[in-house]
Amino acid sequence: MVEFQFLDWFWVVLFLLVTVGLGVAFYRLGKRSESDFFLAGRGLPWWLPASSVYATHTATDTPIWVTGIVYKYGVAGLWYTFFAAWCAISAFVSTRIFRRSLAYTQAEWNTIRFHGLGAEMLRGWISGWQVFMNMFILGWVGIAMGKVCQYLFGWDLWIGLVLFSSLCAIYVLAAGYWGVIMADFQQGIIAFLMIIIVSAWGIMAAGGPTVIADKLTVMGEAWRMNPFAFTGWFEGDFPVAWFITMMVIAIIGGFGMGTSIDWYVEAQRIQSAKSVRDASYSIWWGTALVLTRNSVWAAAILAFYVMSPNIATQAEYELGWFRLGFEYLPVGLIGFFFAALIAIHVSTIASHLNLGAMYFTRDLYLHYFKPKATEKELVWVGRVATLILLLGSFFYGLMMEDITSWLIFALWLMAAGIWLPNILQVVWWRFNAWGYLSSWIANLGLSWLVVWILPHWNIIPVLPDYQQFWLLMLLGALIFVPVTLLTKHEPMEHLVKYYVQARPIGWWGPVKREAQKLGLLTHIEMKIEGGK
Amino acid sequence: MGFIRRNWTPWEADEWRKEDWIAIVLSPLCYILLMVGTVLSILLNIWGFILLALGIFLTWLMHWVIDPKLKMISGEYEKKQHEYLEQLERNARWEEING
Repeated sequence: MVEFQFLDWFWVVLFLLVTVGLGVAFYRLGKRSESDFFLAGRGLPWWLPASSVYATHTATDTPIWVTGIVYKYGVAGLWYTFFAAWCAISAFVSTRIFRRSLAYTQAEWNTIRFHGLGAEMLRGWISGWQVFMNMFILGWVGIAMGKVCQYLFGWDLWIGLVLFSSLCAIYVLAAGYWGVIMADFQQGIIAFLMIIIVSAWGIMAAGGPTVIADKLTVMGEAWRMNPFAFTGWFEGDFPVAWFITMMVIAIIGGFGMGTSIDWYVEAQRIQSAKSVRDASYSIWWGTALVLTRNSVWAAAILAFYVMSPNIATQAEYELGWFRLGFEYLPVGLIGFFFAALIAIHVSTIASHLNLGAMYFTRDLYLHYFKPKATEKELVWVGRVATLILLLGSFFYGLMMEDITSWLIFALWLMAAGIWLPNILQVVWWRFNAWGYLSSWIANLGLSWLVVWILPHWNIIPVLPDYQQFWLLMLLGALIFVPVTLLTKHEPMEHLVKYYVQARPIGWWGPVKREAQKLGLLTHIEMKIEGGK
Repeated sequence: MGFIRRNWTPWEADEWRKEDWIAIVLSPLCYILLMVGTVLSILLNIWGFILLALGIFLTWLMHWVIDPKLKMISGEYEKKQHEYLEQLERNARWEEING
């Protein structure tokens, strides 16, 4: 339990008033149209969505998770967080292609890239899954705030969950994405500032960087400062083979769309940027901030380690960074620290409330239920969907203890077997909706087999997660590649239209030649092609 | 013309060229150097300062290479964006089902 003084509560109340007030102030802009409520009118300079990328991916549970892996593996644990680096290539490849498609959502993009019944089935599936996923993430992040408040004030879990998500919902309901993005900007600044202050305070409390390095050396723990301290090529729980797999997933994944669960959040930021260039830079710089923030955390967690080594309980050492703040900051600053934690929390909540509502409104309500809906009606449907997501997140949050392991498995399902199809849909013209759909279905069954059923019957051993990834990718390919080649490619007219607008990278030769034949690419370009 | 092209026509900028691939290679390298360089620099490790400086330089280089191309792509695309947005709405509202 932490004792708050008047100055601490002053910071908390002031922050809440500013953040909710700033969000609500954009009410008039948010209600103008569907495009405003979900994409801020597609007119943002790069630094606004960049700050939102950073703020959204700084959630209440992020410092808990980063602390856990760095405390266990030292600085090398940072590679666990490197999955965010899919944005490195994406910023200049899939971000550019997606921005040119102008699709509100990844589900809508499926009907631009693919065609007919298969495309519509994909749109329905992806949008329904995203509504569920956003509600789930809201519950997950929400209950983490419940736990923080329980640790700090002894409150019941539900109070922290309901109170701060509800306050956040005020400005999301009022101003939609305009409220999200403007609040994210100030929340991102406050959160980054506080992360630096708390980390610096923790490092100084441990005696400073030199003392930390000396103490680690004396303790025989100098390996914790080595970013490449692996447990062997294949041995141990942190081998080089895992590192290489992570590099492939993160870096090559940037050629695709949806190779990371974070893509769906970033896709909204990409479309809200005012140009292709702004979209690229927003994704690149938002992620650069995320990665360097993790580095600041890692240094602070080494400080925590030298002050509190040998904590065996994961649940205990995971709170290390929070403890640096609440145990070492002076009175007054503790309240500011808690305000920053609220900023960290509500920025993530706001993003997922608006994103889930967008999938419901754009892909389900407008496209399938009421295609003639007016702009005003769509904004109201967006608000109702936001409210439903909020209430659903309370339900998920409170039952999260029981379902977390199942849902982490569900997240893993979404990542492994469809990683390659998510790239192929971008780079290979011949890949069709049926191939993509079959990969989702195959992945569902294969994941159960590889992760649980076959090891249970001793048919295969329990594999490390990186080996599961490669096996699932291979087994999935044995299904979706034949399905793709045995079914027709998308109609050439549809592919040409997509190609001319989005200009995808990769193997699009037949489509490009057809576009040239139809005179849809310029004369100058044909001369260049002819000259090669 | 130098190895890195700084002037683009709209049609050439739309193509995937060497400059795109330079950005694609440099970008993950920048992330690695910035992440590792930052944490080691905070720990006052000399390699941290070297890696961080290299990361900042490569970040600048990457932007210098790709920015003129991105500017041209953006400028040209925005001219067509209004028409594409109308098509998108027709598709969402089932007014234009076929490609």
